[in-house]
Amino acid sequence: MSTAIAEVATDESTRTRRKWNAANLDLIITPTLALVLLVLAVFVWQYTEFDSTTERILEPASLARQMRQQITLSFWSTLLVVSVAVPLGILVTRRGAPKLKDALVTVLGLGQAVPAYGLIVLFFVWLGQGATTAVIALATFALLPVLRNTIVGLQQVDSSVIEAGKGMGMTALQRLRKIELPLAVPVIVAGVRTAAVINVGMAALAFLIGAGGLGETINAGLKLNRPTAIFIGAALVALVALAFDTAGALAQRYLRPRGV
Amino acid sequence: MDGLTSWWDFVSNRGDQVLTTVLETLTYVVTVTVAAGAVAITLGVVTRHRPFARDLSLAIASVFLTIPSLALFTIFIPLVGLGFAPSFIALFLYAILPILRNTTTGLAAVEPSVLESARGMGLTPTQVLLKVQLPLAWPVILAGVRVSALLTVGISAIATLVAGGGVGDFIKSGLARLPLPNSLESIWTGVILSLALALTIDIVLRGLGRLTARQPTRTV
Amino acid sequence: MTTAQIELRHVSKTYEGVEEPAVKDLSLSVEPGEILVLVGPSGCGKSTTLRLINRMIEPSEGTIVYEGEDVTTVDPNKLRRRIGYVIQQVGLFPHRTIAENIATVPELLKWPKAKVAERIDELLELVGMDPEVYRDRYPSELSGGQAQRVGVARALGADPDVLLMDEPFGAIDPITRDRLQNEFLRLQSTLRKTIVFVTHDIDEAVKMGDRIAILREGSQIAQLDKPEVILAEPADEFVENFLGSGAILKSLTLKRVRDIDLDPLVVLRDPVHRGQALTALAESGSGYAVLVDRDNRPVCWINERSLNSSSELAKAGREISVQLQPEDTLQDALSAMLQSSSGHAVVVDGTGRYQGCCTIESLAHFVVGMGNGGTSLETTGRSA
Repeated sequence: MSTAIAEVATDESTRTRRKWNAANLDLIITPTLALVLLVLAVFVWQYTEFDSTTERILEPASLARQMRQQITLSFWSTLLVVSVAVPLGILVTRRGAPKLKDALVTVLGLGQAVPAYGLIVLFFVWLGQGATTAVIALATFALLPVLRNTIVGLQQVDSSVIEAGKGMGMTALQRLRKIELPLAVPVIVAGVRTAAVINVGMAALAFLIGAGGLGETINAGLKLNRPTAIFIGAALVALVALAFDTAGALAQRYLRPRGV
Repeated sequence: MDGLTSWWDFVSNRGDQVLTTVLETLTYVVTVTVAAGAVAITLGVVTRHRPFARDLSLAIASVFLTIPSLALFTIFIPLVGLGFAPSFIALFLYAILPILRNTTTGLAAVEPSVLESARGMGLTPTQVLLKVQLPLAWPVILAGVRVSALLTVGISAIATLVAGGGVGDFIKSGLARLPLPNSLESIWTGVILSLALALTIDIVLRGLGRLTARQPTRTV
Repeated sequence: MTTAQIELRHVSKTYEGVEEPAVKDLSLSVEPGEILVLVGPSGCGKSTTLRLINRMIEPSEGTIVYEGEDVTTVDPNKLRRRIGYVIQQVGLFPHRTIAENIATVPELLKWPKAKVAERIDELLELVGMDPEVYRDRYPSELSGGQAQRVGVARALGADPDVLLMDEPFGAIDPITRDRLQNEFLRLQSTLRKTIVFVTHDIDEAVKMGDRIAILREGSQIAQLDKPEVILAEPADEFVENFLGSGAILKSLTLKRVRDIDLDPLVVLRDPVHRGQALTALAESGSGYAVLVDRDNRPVCWINERSLNSSSELAKAGREISVQLQPEDTLQDALSAMLQSSSGHAVVVDGTGRYQGCCTIESLAHFVVGMGNGGTSLETTGRSA
């Protein structure tokens, strides 16, 4: 036993990535753009003379509320997407469900062609106004990337690895938990990241159905012809999206299983 | 069935408006795809031997897709005003990535042995590009163009919010008049026109792909 | 006899939508401690047969008996935990360390942690990998040969009595493959596992197998016997064709130098009287003599020219490049002869004392003997 826990000089250099890659660039460019936008927004806020209307639109308390709504809507819809799409993806990749899988991906793919703007309005007509409707509409629109990536992620696992697990007497559930899911995580997380960004974008339209969000500021700016307010609103929406995207990129990086 | 009849009545009474908005959306699709295609393909070609520049341009192009459409459509309003201009800029920025990504993948997918033999026969780098790489990468690039065109159809529905026209007009006016008569029909009209346009463009571009694809020559 | 480790009784496998069964009414028994090689052309059903044993493929008909117990309907996962399984692609879990990979079955069997850790190191050492170095590495850091060693270690994880190996060395370069085969045989000489080994390579089959089953389409046994018997007496044209033209050369790997009659040749002991030596050489007619030292160790080859040379005899002679030992195979002997300046190969015992020479004539005599019903010759056990 004691020999088994002896210290090991690990060869770290073999594990660190030598080359920059798209993921690394992501983590530089996204925050850079966010910073530029932030600086611009602060600059505009500081050095523009607000008339009373602009001031009313950009009232800090309502901006804070809209920001909260924006984030909450995005968060809950992403959570809903994950809790529906991942189990569904697992289910349709099990043996005997290839037809169901193809049908599902096709239907959702077609659904993707429905403009987000139209979809959220149709959900409003169907379910009435409010945050719940918005969360459901958002989740529906963002379902495909997570579902597709779950399916792809599970299917790209080297079949000889699963075969080896089966040959050693792992049950189907053990193979799923210990082999397939861990190895699919990078691909699934990439899908969740995409979904989260889509959700932030669509949450900006939630104002259309009375669910708030930063779209309110942009809309008020448009209605009352106040370009400054429009800009501040748009910059804030973009910042939330960029923040979600960066969080996703970080998750992609740190949730990747070691050795892969 | 009632819904369908009343929807059909709605559409047939507004032939002019349908035509106008469809043309507006089509204008976006054509101008955006052409402009983004020109920029993205050039960028892909120029950076084909410079991996850092290539990955940098890919990363920048993809960060645009991260920005919510409402934000990107409106953020340029202080500079360019309402209407076509801000919508075009936003759609253009969105449309770059799919074409750029497919151009770089398509060019990179050309087998090194093919390039080697082309160079071995004395083709200049430009000739290799024009006669070997681009023709071989073309199906992939065209697929990227198709994705961008479909993306433009879907997202351009929102142009109506910045007075940019297009089939989204029907959705906006329908929503504004809810629950008055014809409001639901109006929303559905916008959605259905958008879907129909996407479907048509998809078919047309797939057909174009098949027409321009080189048939493998047979030597029997 | 019910001593068989594994028995397939009238097993068939028919895939849905395929008329011809992949395995047709196969009966086969594997004895404890032997390596049984299933070999045959691609598509003959040899892999399917192997996978029927641990029920990776369920049989359509027939019974599978494991250690005297009918396992055709038991929980396949429990069965598989008792049988080691090695595949060509290895299939190491890329997200788990080497240690975690090897621990797979022990963990499934809920061994205590300390015992698992001990077992991991034991197995890594067994397959010739330093536990300190490799325990915490990931599979992506291994070469193909190393990966398959870990694959074998993982299959041995819970010390199963049986190993099923599906072309385990098939994806590995020839030189590494040869080394892995030798290492594995050495391992097996101490482990004495019951092994069913699938390959499409007849050379590998001859090298690895205690018994070989040559299979034709539908996993029909064309011949099942010891390799030397199959090589000497192919049952039919199919087997003959499958063995190919090199059957006699292959059989050389099965026989040892000690199995043939050595030619004593002319031996000269230092110091030598040149005149006597010349006479002895002329009488023998072979052209070469072996010079040995006082302890009877071979020094060099002597021919007429070296005897006429003025320098010291031990330096004038020709160098003996390779010395054979009685345990070496006849193939080794052949290659030693081809390298030797004299055309003969010197054989020494374990302490380096001269035993005699292997000559082309003695080898040819032996080969001819094998062709004419060579089964009468004693077969030699695999040396450790």
